[in-house]
Amino acid sequence: MAEFMKKLSVGSYFNIVAAILGIVGLIAALICSNMTLTYQLGNMGTIGCFAFVGAVLALASVYLATVFGNADIAGTAALLLSIACFAAAFGNVLSERILLIAGLFSYDSVNTVGWKVFYVTVVAMAAFLVGCLVLIIGAFTNSVKTAE
Amino acid sequence: MKKTNIFRGLAALMTFLLSISVIVGNTLESFSSTIDTALGTQSEMMVTDDQDAVYNRFTPPAELLNEDGTGNSHALIQAAIDLNRKQAAEGTVLLKNNGVLPLSTGASVTLFGIRSQVPILGSSFGVKAFGGFINLDEALQNNITDFAHHITTSLSQNWATGQVERGYTTDGWSGDEFEFDGAGYKVNPTMTSIYQKLNETYLHTENAGPSEEYDPGEPSVKEIESVNASYKDSFAQYGDASIVVIGRPSAESEDYLPGGIVSGLGAEEPLALTTNERDAIALAKECSDKVIVLVNSASAVEIGELKDNPDIDAILWIGAPGSYGMLGVADILVGKTSPSGGLADIFATYNMSAPAMQNMGNFSYKNADVITRENSSNYIIEAEGIYVGYRYYETRYFDAVLGEGNATGTAGAYASTSGWDYDKEVAYGFGYGLSYTTFDMEYEGEPVFNVKKDGDVTTATATFNVKVTNTGNVAGKKSVQIYGQAPYERGGIEKSAIQLLNYAKTDLLQPGESQTVPVEVDLQYIATYDSSFDNGDGTFGTYIADPGTYYFAFGNGAHDALNNIMAAQGIDAGSLVGESNASYAYSTEITEDLLSRTAFAFSKTGTKISNQLPYADWNYFQEGEVTYLSRADWNGTYPKSYTDMELTNQELIDYLNGKYYTIATDDDTSDIVWDKEGDLMFYEMAGLDFADEKWEELLSEMSLEEAQYLATFGGPSIPGATSIGTVETYMTENAGNGVAVNLNASKDTEAPWNIKSDDPNGNWHPEVFESSPLTAAAFNPDLAKELGEFIGIESLFTGIPILWGPGLNTHRHAYNGRNGEYYSEDPILSGYTAMEFAIGALEYGLIAAPKHYAFNDQETNRAGVAPFMTEQRAREVELRAYQIAFEATKYDTEDNNAGMRGLMISFSKIGPVECTVSTGLMTEILKKEWGFTGYAVTDIYDDFDLYGAVLTSGATCYDTRGMSGFYTDTTLDSPRFANQADGSSISAKVFAGDARAQQAVRESAHNVLFAIASSNLMNRYNATTHVVKLNTWWRTAYYTAIGCTALLTALFVVLFILSRKKKEA
Repeated sequence: MAEFMKKLSVGSYFNIVAAILGIVGLIAALICSNMTLTYQLGNMGTIGCFAFVGAVLALASVYLATVFGNADIAGTAALLLSIACFAAAFGNVLSERILLIAGLFSYDSVNTVGWKVFYVTVVAMAAFLVGCLVLIIGAFTNSVKTAE
Repeated sequence: MKKTNIFRGLAALMTFLLSISVIVGNTLESFSSTIDTALGTQSEMMVTDDQDAVYNRFTPPAELLNEDGTGNSHALIQAAIDLNRKQAAEGTVLLKNNGVLPLSTGASVTLFGIRSQVPILGSSFGVKAFGGFINLDEALQNNITDFAHHITTSLSQNWATGQVERGYTTDGWSGDEFEFDGAGYKVNPTMTSIYQKLNETYLHTENAGPSEEYDPGEPSVKEIESVNASYKDSFAQYGDASIVVIGRPSAESEDYLPGGIVSGLGAEEPLALTTNERDAIALAKECSDKVIVLVNSASAVEIGELKDNPDIDAILWIGAPGSYGMLGVADILVGKTSPSGGLADIFATYNMSAPAMQNMGNFSYKNADVITRENSSNYIIEAEGIYVGYRYYETRYFDAVLGEGNATGTAGAYASTSGWDYDKEVAYGFGYGLSYTTFDMEYEGEPVFNVKKDGDVTTATATFNVKVTNTGNVAGKKSVQIYGQAPYERGGIEKSAIQLLNYAKTDLLQPGESQTVPVEVDLQYIATYDSSFDNGDGTFGTYIADPGTYYFAFGNGAHDALNNIMAAQGIDAGSLVGESNASYAYSTEITEDLLSRTAFAFSKTGTKISNQLPYADWNYFQEGEVTYLSRADWNGTYPKSYTDMELTNQELIDYLNGKYYTIATDDDTSDIVWDKEGDLMFYEMAGLDFADEKWEELLSEMSLEEAQYLATFGGPSIPGATSIGTVETYMTENAGNGVAVNLNASKDTEAPWNIKSDDPNGNWHPEVFESSPLTAAAFNPDLAKELGEFIGIESLFTGIPILWGPGLNTHRHAYNGRNGEYYSEDPILSGYTAMEFAIGALEYGLIAAPKHYAFNDQETNRAGVAPFMTEQRAREVELRAYQIAFEATKYDTEDNNAGMRGLMISFSKIGPVECTVSTGLMTEILKKEWGFTGYAVTDIYDDFDLYGAVLTSGATCYDTRGMSGFYTDTTLDSPRFANQADGSSISAKVFAGDARAQQAVRESAHNVLFAIASSNLMNRYNATTHVVKLNTWWRTAYYTAIGCTALLTALFVVLFILSRKKKEA
């Protein structure tokens, strides 16, 4: 493991952080979905799949880089798909919560339960979004160390 | 950085942007109708290729059209100004006048109170007053509008800075200005500028709202001095009169609460006058010996001290008068119009003395942990029983005079020094209002009683012909309010000692002129609901008309009428509070021969009446735990606060947890016909009766899925059904004070009268009219109808066939934050006003859908609060208003089913049962007893987790605001219906094995389609009607974004691969 870690460069660390963010987003989505019956996420399964697959692909990208080197096609494909998955997870949460958000900012501003759900939802969406951005930044950098 | 990494990074970036573009596009399409309304775009248009026989069913009046048939926006706005002015003038109530009013034109006046510069015209949320407005000082001294600089405001939070800011309701005004004839006063500019300066920090708005800890925000004298220390120098020049404005707002989603006022203001309650308000009045006295107070509030402000203050010369209640209503107020002040309004609510000295106030606010079950369903932990016990508003004060007064029922006990005495004393407890009674002229009133002949029996159904009316003569020196109108008293046996069924039965208004009577006004009273409304009556068929409960002596009277409000009745009963005038005249009362002996005791046991539809809401009563579940207020012992039964109710009954807990209905899976549904071959199309149904057999034919042509879509997505966008030739259409909008769509954003751009987007007045927003209590206070059915007609006309210009309004809940007490949207504490006044509004609206094809059916008695915990009450209370107070509006007996004939076609259901429960799932409420009472055959929608997103129960109760559809793109972007298996309390999974197949549900969605489709077939949507329909998809700028934007990002993603991927290959090579 130590050997494996020694090989990693900045890009992989970004990918690992993104994977962690994906899992954070997944956990936050699960929490906000289970806070109350009323505000369960009807598409939690889809969100969970996107978040989990996105995280796995981000880690796969790290692994593939250690096997095939920097900027390999398979690792890059995994990274791009990971971004798409996280974005899709973000979109699904947003789509499901948009009516709640619209209500909280208008006719339902006193919905205290709704606000609690909203705050956790924001954490989930932010995690997915930041995960995407971290992956993008990592894509500009090397994933594994190269010989000088 | 290496090229390979750059291309890789850019490919990643573009992948992200591509994904976001797709997500944004999908989201926009799912909510396209809402996006269109917000942005003024149009995604689709109903097009009718064959232009014959379209746009000829409902048309705007010719005077609102140009010669070429296009809409004349200037004429429309002018008509709105004129109507709002007339409404405000007729609704304004003169409560006190020692001769200072009317105040002659040319007078120099000073305005006091910060609300004189920022009056309450509408609500911060709910019924806002939109756009350019006419301020009080403009109405008093100007003669042309200044909409470009005077646009109503409301508060909003800047989410970037977190700061609360005043925001305009319309993005500027570059359209027409309008001339008017103001009062012709000169207004003190010094005080005007001081208050305007102070409002830079106070941030008052014309659309305001209450709060749980309220501060009216009246500046102190010190603050006034800090702006201009020599302000008093201006008093001498503008001292003909002082006009003080006291304001209290109302709005959706917030209440006032008992004791809910910021400390240190010198008031214990939010509707009481504060020290700074009293100081403003004191300044007014310094300025002039003529002090006029304007009460600018939809709720009853505690003004008893002003009534008794000899230095206050006049008091006018002006409600929340709408964008142009100050013109009407000015008309009253200057005497162009003589006041003719009457209070729509009683003004108690202290609002807390109302028995309902003992149980309003935030109450949670002691053992709320047994509740698993969201929004089910709060309740209110409406222990006041039937004694809401004036019914409490007047009935207790009656018993106090008679010395019965422990009425003079101390329970409920707030203003009285010892025992309960009406004179101390009440400032101004329900229906009360003064005039600048005087009237003589007398019965012309005997009342005409008309009892008819048709099968089981008895209709009984009494028509009172009242001759009104203007005996004063100025022209004026007079409302004729007929009240009644049924025989009461102490300890028997609760009965109010006085209740309004109907009303009418004279024309404008010149001095010396007379008019005989007929007022027809439906005697059902004086009958009593006895929930313990044994119907002999295993059911209990019906309306009882006890034989005995019935009294009727007219009067200046309920108290005056009761005094007249008491005079007729021979009660000593010395024991009464106020004047009395026995000749204004009429008594008659109603025997079983004339009217059987159970004459009203069948509704006008022929439905046998019985208890339908037993679960409304807490004692139904946990006997003896609640004591309802009773005339038998006022002192002993005056409500306590039920603050800590514990749930022990399992049925009660199950209801609260949403256990109402289980969707069946194996019913025989073969009798319910779907997908039948046929050529009948929806456009052919226009004007057909609800019972016409063609409806069965049409419904049979639909698929179960189509019917389910109609029942599920109830607006604003309503799904189409290919089999019957309907298309998805944006159809519903708010509100009771106008249609919430800008003129230039019409949903019916094909209409010949469509006002083009480049019209200079195009961004006029039609929500401009007054708050509902002011409409009711006019006591003028014709004026309520005129408002309905005008909003019907607005609907033609904006392309909205269904209106979510007016508000029709009861003012249970003064603290309901939403009182401004509801008419009155009295169901008769509310019901008739709403009926007239709806009938007027329907003349232009607008379906009025009053809200919120029913029991939306407070905004606190409104999303699911459980109000517990007796069925008698439910039927005689809240439901009676709806009954009157829905039965519409005044207009209903054999040839014309005039009843209302629309309804919005309450967020709240009735007892522990959601109103949306209460079959008793939605089917047995609404449809069977009252004959409702229209569109009955839930409130926004309400009870999505009770799909099967809601759609089988009689509710016809959900309010799914925002959703559109049905069958493609939005489907029945939408995640939004994914979490069902019964664990069911919603899809187009969910009712495949449930006969009751299939029948229910079929009936829902029938109701919705029948309502629409009565509406102005039929202007657009024939065999060639179809929808044309249109492009919008936002659609172009996201298409472009997807295209560009996809190309760039591909490009950078290719460059990355090439770069990598080059590197490898």
